Amino acid sequence: MTPPNQLKMTVYTALFVALIAMGAFIAIPLGPVPIVLQNLFVLLAAIILGPVWGLACVGIYLLIGLAGLPVFAGGTSGIGKLFGPTGGYLIAYLPAVFVTGALSKKLKNSMTGDVIAMVIGSIIVYAIGVPWLKIAFSLSWQKAVAVGMLPFLIGDGLKIAAAAFMGKKIRPLIR
Amino acid sequence: MAALNPFMFRQGNSLLHCLDTRCKLLWVCMTSLFILKADFLACFIFLGVLIVFIKQIQIGVKDTLWQLKLFLLFLGFIFLARALTIPGDPLVFFHGLTITRQGLNQGGLVALRFFLVMVTGLVFSATTRPASLKSAAQWFLKPIPFVPEKRAAVMISLALRFFPLILQQANETANAIDARCGNLQKNPIKRFVRLTLPLLKKTFLSADHLILAMEARCYGEDRTDPEFEPSGKERVFILYSLGFWLFLFFFSIRLPPVSLNYILVIREIYIDPDPVLL
Repeated sequence: MTPPNQLKMTVYTALFVALIAMGAFIAIPLGPVPIVLQNLFVLLAAIILGPVWGLACVGIYLLIGLAGLPVFAGGTSGIGKLFGPTGGYLIAYLPAVFVTGALSKKLKNSMTGDVIAMVIGSIIVYAIGVPWLKIAFSLSWQKAVAVGMLPFLIGDGLKIAAAAFMGKKIRPLIR
Repeated sequence: MAALNPFMFRQGNSLLHCLDTRCKLLWVCMTSLFILKADFLACFIFLGVLIVFIKQIQIGVKDTLWQLKLFLLFLGFIFLARALTIPGDPLVFFHGLTITRQGLNQGGLVALRFFLVMVTGLVFSATTRPASLKSAAQWFLKPIPFVPEKRAAVMISLALRFFPLILQQANETANAIDARCGNLQKNPIKRFVRLTLPLLKKTFLSADHLILAMEARCYGEDRTDPEFEPSGKERVFILYSLGFWLFLFFFSIRLPPVSLNYILVIREIYIDPDPVLL
C-alpha cells in the first residue's frame, strides 16, 4: 500500500496538472507569446507542492502536452510546440518551479517569502524564454525583450499577487 | 456532466477504438508535429480525414461544436487579430480598420491549425479509455531512468479525470455567484477572486474525497502490469499515416512556402517595420 502522504501528494500533483492545463486554455494572443493563466498555476504549484512534487507536476504537464493532448497555450500541443518560439518558456517552468518551491520552503512559506520566490521563478522563466525566442526569430536583444517580456510584466505582477493570496488560503486545506 | 465534457470517452468499435493506445499516442504525437508545419491544402485534406474518423466514432458534431463554443470564439479572436494587424494588400476598410489579404490568409491558417490540433486531441480522447491511457503512458515511461513510471501514469490518468470535474465545478460556482447577484459586480479582479477561491476550495475538497476513497481501497503502486490487446492493424495504420503526411509535404514544397511566409510576416509586424528580405 502507498504511504498516505505520498498518495496525497500524487493526487494533489495531478490536480495541479489539470489546473495548469486549464490556465493555458484561456490564452489571449498578444504578439508571438500569448498571455495565459498557466504561469499563475505553475507558481502556485511550486509554493503549495514544494520543489520535488512541483517539478513532477510540471514534468507531467509537459509530457501530456508532448503526447498530443491539447494542454498548451490556446489548446495546442505536440513536440513542435515545445521546440517552437515559445518552447523556451515551457521548458523554463521546470527549473522555475523547482527554485520557487525550494525558496518558498526555505523562507518558511511566509507570504513575503512566497512573493520573493515567485519573482525569482518568473525571472528564471524569462531568462530562458527570451533568449529562446531571440534565437527562434533571429531578433536583437532589445526586440526580444520588447516582444517576449515587457508586455507581460504588469500581468505577471498581478498573477504573483493573486498566487500569493491563493497560496495563503489553500495551504491550510492540504495539511 | 457529459454536456460539459466533449473530451470524454465514448463506447464504440471504430478503427480508432480498436487500435492499441500506444499506437494512437504515437499517431497523435506525429500528427501534431506535422500540423504545425502544414499549409492550407494539407490542413484541409487532414480535416477531411478527421471528419471521417468523427463520423465513425459517432460524435454529435453540432453538440460538440456548441460545447466548444468558447474555444471557437478564441479561434475567431486569433483570426480577427491577425486579419487586422498583418500588413499587406487591403481588402476591406471599416471605421479606420483594414483587413488585408495576407492577414486573412495567415489568420485563417493559424486558426485552422489550432482547430485541427484540438480536434485530433478530441478524437484521441473520445476513443481512448483513461485506464488504457495510463497503461500506455506507463509503457512509454518504463525505459526512462529515475522516473517512477507507475506513479507518473497514475498522475496522468488522474489529471485527465480532473479536467471535467474542474469544468463542472466552475459552472456550479459561477451559477451560485450569479444566484447571489455576483454578476452585477463590475470589478474584474473582484469577480476573478470571487470565482477562483471557492472553485479552488471545492476542487481541493474533491481531491481529498478521492484520496480517502483510494486509501479505503488500499491503493498501492505494486499492482499487476497492464496487458495490451493490439488489433494487428497498428503497424499498417502508422505506416499509412506517415505516408499520408510525407505525401502532403511533397506537394507542399511545390506550393508557396506558407510557414516561411508566416515567420516573415511576424518579423515585419513585431520586429522590423521595413520589409525584410530573407
